[in-house]
Amino acid sequence: MIFNRTPFDVIVCGAGHAGVEACLAASRTGASTLLLTGNIDTIAQMSCNPAIGGQAKGQIVREIDALGGEMAINTDVTGIQFRLLNESKGPAVQSPRAQCDKKAYQFRLKHTLELQPNLQVFQATVTGLIFKAGKVVGCQTNLDIDFLGQTVVITTGTFLRGLMHVGQNKNEGGRLGDFSAKTLSGSLLEAGIELQRLKTGTPPRILGRSINFTDLQEQKGDPEPTLFAFHDTRGPEELFHVERTGERRIGWKPGSEQVSCWMTYTTPESERIVRENLHRSAMYSGEISGVGPRYCPSIEDKFVRFADKPRHLLYLEPEGRNTNEYYINGLSTSLPFDVQLDLVHSIPGLEKAILLRPAYAVEYDFAPPTQMFPSLESRKVENLFLAGQINGTSGYEEAAAQGLVAGVNAARKTRGENPMIIRRHEAYIGVLIDDLVTKGTTEPYRMFTSRAEHRLLFNHGSAEIRLFQHGKDCNLLSINRLNKIEAKIKAVHHWQNTLENTKAHGVTWADTVRRSSSSPDLPAEFLAQPKEVREETLYRVRYRGYLEREQRQIEKLKSVENIRIPDSIDYAKIPGLRRESALKLHQHRPLNLGQAGRISGVNPVDISILMVLIAAGKDPKF
Amino acid sequence: MSFPSDTIAALATPVGTSAIAVVRASGPQVAALVTGIFGETPLPRAASRADYKDVRGLLVDDVLFTFFAGPNSFTGEDTVEISCHGNPFIAQKILEDLFARGCRPAEAGEFSKRAFLNGRMDLSQAEAVMDLIHAHSERALTAANQQLRGALGRQMDALISQLINILARIEAYIDFPEEDLPAEDRVSVLRELERLKTDTGRLLATSHYGTMLRDGIKTVILGEPNAGKSSLLNRLVGRDRALVSAEPGTTRDYLEERILVGPHALRLIDTAGLNSSPSALEKHGIDKTIEQAAEADLFLWVIDATHPLPSLPSSVAARLSSANTIAVFNKIDLPTAHPDSAPRNFPAVKISALTGVGFDSFHVEIARLADSFQAECGDELIAINSRHAYALERANQCLDSAVEKLDADIATELVASDLRGTLDAFGQISGRIDHEKVLDQLFASFCIGK
Repeated sequence: MIFNRTPFDVIVCGAGHAGVEACLAASRTGASTLLLTGNIDTIAQMSCNPAIGGQAKGQIVREIDALGGEMAINTDVTGIQFRLLNESKGPAVQSPRAQCDKKAYQFRLKHTLELQPNLQVFQATVTGLIFKAGKVVGCQTNLDIDFLGQTVVITTGTFLRGLMHVGQNKNEGGRLGDFSAKTLSGSLLEAGIELQRLKTGTPPRILGRSINFTDLQEQKGDPEPTLFAFHDTRGPEELFHVERTGERRIGWKPGSEQVSCWMTYTTPESERIVRENLHRSAMYSGEISGVGPRYCPSIEDKFVRFADKPRHLLYLEPEGRNTNEYYINGLSTSLPFDVQLDLVHSIPGLEKAILLRPAYAVEYDFAPPTQMFPSLESRKVENLFLAGQINGTSGYEEAAAQGLVAGVNAARKTRGENPMIIRRHEAYIGVLIDDLVTKGTTEPYRMFTSRAEHRLLFNHGSAEIRLFQHGKDCNLLSINRLNKIEAKIKAVHHWQNTLENTKAHGVTWADTVRRSSSSPDLPAEFLAQPKEVREETLYRVRYRGYLEREQRQIEKLKSVENIRIPDSIDYAKIPGLRRESALKLHQHRPLNLGQAGRISGVNPVDISILMVLIAAGKDPKF
Repeated sequence: MSFPSDTIAALATPVGTSAIAVVRASGPQVAALVTGIFGETPLPRAASRADYKDVRGLLVDDVLFTFFAGPNSFTGEDTVEISCHGNPFIAQKILEDLFARGCRPAEAGEFSKRAFLNGRMDLSQAEAVMDLIHAHSERALTAANQQLRGALGRQMDALISQLINILARIEAYIDFPEEDLPAEDRVSVLRELERLKTDTGRLLATSHYGTMLRDGIKTVILGEPNAGKSSLLNRLVGRDRALVSAEPGTTRDYLEERILVGPHALRLIDTAGLNSSPSALEKHGIDKTIEQAAEADLFLWVIDATHPLPSLPSSVAARLSSANTIAVFNKIDLPTAHPDSAPRNFPAVKISALTGVGFDSFHVEIARLADSFQAECGDELIAINSRHAYALERANQCLDSAVEKLDADIATELVASDLRGTLDAFGQISGRIDHEKVLDQLFASFCIGK
């Protein structure tokens, strides 16, 4: 049957971290939205470690918050341990990280979706897409119910032809205990979308009461938690804006009653066990064809590739307040279960550990992301948007960021509005999407601060300021919040100027700030400003030289970034363009000259030629 | 549409084709540059004679400069043309000074491109501009590729891999603070940075002038024993450099001298005589000569005018052509000279190395051939080399700044920012370096992954 005669504006397939942000963003900007998920009980499940944030990822979460997303606030109120990483370094590379109560995280998000106006959630597995004249118009499900939508956002995570490995044991599924989306791949291939395989893995989970914590090193949370959401501008009504119905939701005061993680190490015995059983590992026996991430190697890889390292660090992370389950961070493996048991028992503190779930590797389909526009709309199929692991990324934060952008842009598409494109110089989200659509990826892509040319500008505290214009233009924030952000921006500018131009004892305040490593005595009026204003002002003043250098580079880049390349361009016919460049440009089809310049093999001369051609309006095709 | 607004500079004339060389700069900074260099506010479209003093206040040349105020200029921007004496060293010095004052080297065809983008050419000329950019770049590319295949390429590769190693070590501690990495070792990073700085400085010193300018035109003097090769060298150099004697075969290895002929630097190489029945020792010298001849740009074939026309070993003869060889009939002051049996294939001059007769026209002939070489590749070569120097200079500045910060124990993300600047500068010579390379190195050298 067909469920709806009037198409939804946006249908989101999949309710992981990408899917929930996508459907919330779409419905919050006024689009009638449907979320389809194979299992409503696993909405926003943390399939791997129970943590949000960390290097670069923490900044992304704050950027999501600046664009009205849910991940930050959801983490804050369900977090059980908060730490600010890199405190010894400068603000640009400091990142918040939090352990979350896995179940509370899920339940709160599920509840949030249920209370969200314009959004309908329904449990059905999407089995295929419905196309009409090269466009997607809806999806089919395993219940034989078809849903019509003007746009469709696909967020399949690891479920697309997901195949799990525990040693030689293989099971179909995207996650332990869950199903595999087997037929959707066919639908994508049919539409001309190329698919490839990737692989990822997750460590065993163990029972907390079977751990001997006596000799383990404790890692506590920060006494002063660094939160993800901008509570200064969100205010209580923002925080609970879907709760005006009076319903109570799960969650607690951010940072209250923090729990600890624990550190332990592998032993020579662990190494012996792994080495003797390498041939039984799914990854080392050639069972797995997908490419895994280098930054998240299996324990097999660690022992083989870094043989000189005597031991490897492991973190034991609690999965929640109301469970005794622990996650062994660092022990990802695809060894058979009997070897996993021996391996876990060879680790100090875990001699008598009881395993709740085995470690496993999972292979899945992804669609190489160069097949998308920066709006995350497919180049092959109009109105089809893709977000999360299907685009070759890894990580909840990377997925959520794409989900938000895809959701916003799907909704905008139905209204005939221009897509929201976040640039490389504005935010990690911009770097993420530009890297994906311009360069593609061959391993699960994770964000690192070093991927961003302008990371000095991406301090987590400035996310709201950096993305203010997008939030305003795309109607992602309440008027109240926009006003508060605007006031914050003004206050920062005012105090920047004041500190630069006011002298005390013959020296400007700004010079005093730059010369002293500690915080100097500043005017009482400044010290009375909110923490957010003070910190951002001092960052800008102290690092002024570096930040200005970055800004100058950005201004230069912008000039080419703003030159659009006409769709109809035929690179083969451009006189003077080198064949190799023409081929690369043809494959990548960059949208502007900035993007064209970042394609490997394209050099400045090619860009010069394109610039002249575009300025002349002389597309060789017409 | 907005276009780049930085100030570019380049040599506008080919090297050595005229008595003057013209250096051109275009962009918003030009008016300030002119005031800074010549100490006067420029009048549009009036040529002024002035001393060109570099940034340190040292006199470079006495020049003629003309300022064109935008939009009434070739490019449509403020432009200055500086005519200096046609010595490539001077033009190079002026260019380098302009770079030191904040200009950047123009890309291939960039003046024309700007002219077009600023509406100084009509649409029908767009294609011509593209062709021009293309042609410039092809030549530049060919020359650059040749250099990159050679020693420069190897040295750049070494510098880049040193740098990527250092960057990976720094980035690891920024991006993976939770990992069990060995303790961060600023001291050894500092030591490696110092080494990189030394190596970059060394390369900068050698690439200071273009290959041709740096080494001079490689000019091989060859001929039979006792034809007067060494005397010729001495006459050209103006002092007794080569050991001259009446004994044939005195020059067993080879000698090298540098001279200036007009604007051209020549690297003169005196070789052992090409004897048809050599002794073992001579044989060694002859092999050296053949080796030298294989790489020479210009040949001075010295022929004893009192002897019958000799023949040359085929491996040498094959390299000679009318475009690269002058047949030099020596000893025309002797009564037995009969210089009319000149080989038909080559331009010929008649001289006496002993008395100096005929050297004026000999100089003219050398300059004529040298001009033709540089017309072929000269301007691009100098452009590429000044670009190299500019890029290496920038790389070095960034390295200095990084070292300073490490010394002062300043946050490493700022050190990394400087080192990325270095990487980008290196990339301008060897082609863009993807920052992904740093991650590759990082994952290869550290066990990352929780």
